[in-house]
Amino acid sequence: MSSNEVKVKVSHMTKKFGDLLVLNDISFEVKKGEFLCVVGPTGCGKTTFLNCLTKLGVYQLTSGEILINNEPVDLQKHNVAYIFQEYSAFPWQTVEENVAYGLKIKKRPAAEIKARVDEMLEMVGLTEYRNYYPNQLSASMLQRVSIARAFAVQPELLLMDEPYGQLDNSLRYKLEDDLLRLWQHTGTTVIFITHNIEEAVYLSERILVLTNKPTGIKQEIVNNLPRPRDVTDVAFNQLRDKVTDLIKWW
Amino acid sequence: MKRKIDLEKTVYAVAAIAFFFLLWGFLTTFTPVKETTPGPIEVLQLLVSSFYTPIGSKVIVGHLLVSLRRVLVGFSVATIIGIVLGIAMGTSRWAEAIFKPIFELLRPIPPIAWISLVILFFGIGETSKYILCGIGAFTNVTLNAYTGAQNVDPELIGCARMLGTSERDIFFRVILPSCTPQIFAGMQVALSTSWMAVLAAEMVGAQEGCGWMIQRGSDTLNITLVMVGMIVIGLVGMLLATLMRTIERRLCSWNIMEN
Repeated sequence: MSSNEVKVKVSHMTKKFGDLLVLNDISFEVKKGEFLCVVGPTGCGKTTFLNCLTKLGVYQLTSGEILINNEPVDLQKHNVAYIFQEYSAFPWQTVEENVAYGLKIKKRPAAEIKARVDEMLEMVGLTEYRNYYPNQLSASMLQRVSIARAFAVQPELLLMDEPYGQLDNSLRYKLEDDLLRLWQHTGTTVIFITHNIEEAVYLSERILVLTNKPTGIKQEIVNNLPRPRDVTDVAFNQLRDKVTDLIKWW
Repeated sequence: MKRKIDLEKTVYAVAAIAFFFLLWGFLTTFTPVKETTPGPIEVLQLLVSSFYTPIGSKVIVGHLLVSLRRVLVGFSVATIIGIVLGIAMGTSRWAEAIFKPIFELLRPIPPIAWISLVILFFGIGETSKYILCGIGAFTNVTLNAYTGAQNVDPELIGCARMLGTSERDIFFRVILPSCTPQIFAGMQVALSTSWMAVLAAEMVGAQEGCGWMIQRGSDTLNITLVMVGMIVIGLVGMLLATLMRTIERRLCSWNIMEN
């Protein structure tokens, strides 16, 4: 899926909280249309890593820079979407209004919004729930709302922070397949953070393995396993074991 | 199933009110209470006649409308100020640092305690009454808007920002809708506090209104009139609360909808 064009370029990203060095001089690139997974030991600063990428709230870089299309990140300008660990559908909007939110903010024409929302609801299987409010939906449906809302704006870059961490396995498999289908369909660049190694091997084209704090990049692993992938396949398990060995801290 | 429960509830409600009137009738017929207190029939008779025979300058509907106007003006102005101040305190550290201490100091003072000062500054005209009703509403709305704004889920704000929402739009699209249920809960309490405050305000220096009716009854030892005033106040208070709940159900259906 990925081309040779660089979408995201991170150079010397460093983050300190007071004297505590959390991210230590991290540099990497993500190609356009690539699916990159980031894994690391528990508490290694994966979320800080992602927060720095998105400059959310107080997370300004201590030093280094992040470029999208060779320009510094600007959320008003770059079309970036973010799917959180927690369910983040707006509770006062219906499923349909939630999915349309980003498109309305970007002032797209009404006809386009309608068409895109219909398409996204169809892809995540929520068409018949379009008029429901979030408090009427199950956990997996809520996360599908967030996914549909993110893909609806056709983001150049989609950041996902352990989006399926709170779901049971069968739902996770289903949503992972949904995600892959949307990614292949839209060609969006994805950075996916997870602590679940199997998930990373299942989804990614490349895996970035992080070290313990202060966090750096331990290794980059290219994942060329053919799709659709099979978690019982020998090559799949070899790759999973390899990544597991890399993040072992015990 | 739900209809059956609704029916049961109605039966119980009617039975409870009937029991209350029977008890009242019994006490005012067969016990020494009858020396001082009118019975339900007497009160209902006066209530009905007051629809066409003026009490003071107006029939009862006139008094009611005067009181309602005072409540609604005070309540509306106070609600707008309260929402703005509450959300400002909940979202800006500066506003919180400046206004919260003053607010906390004034909050426990009930509207009745303000009567003398308000009359001193604004006289005994309508303005004083609006202000007293407003004081009753103001603290509840402000406090709820403040807590609501403080508890807006930061992830929702982050999410809206990521999707390109400007800072100004975040206020209207995320913060305000997010605290609407809290604000409404505050407004419900505020409306009844305002309604209580108008009676207090009308008992001092008014010529019309429900509070004035009670005061007039009290001054002329007309306990029947006092009780008519009380019943009207109870009924209107109940209607206002129901009205607020209906509006809330429409505006905040996402928050109270059953699964």
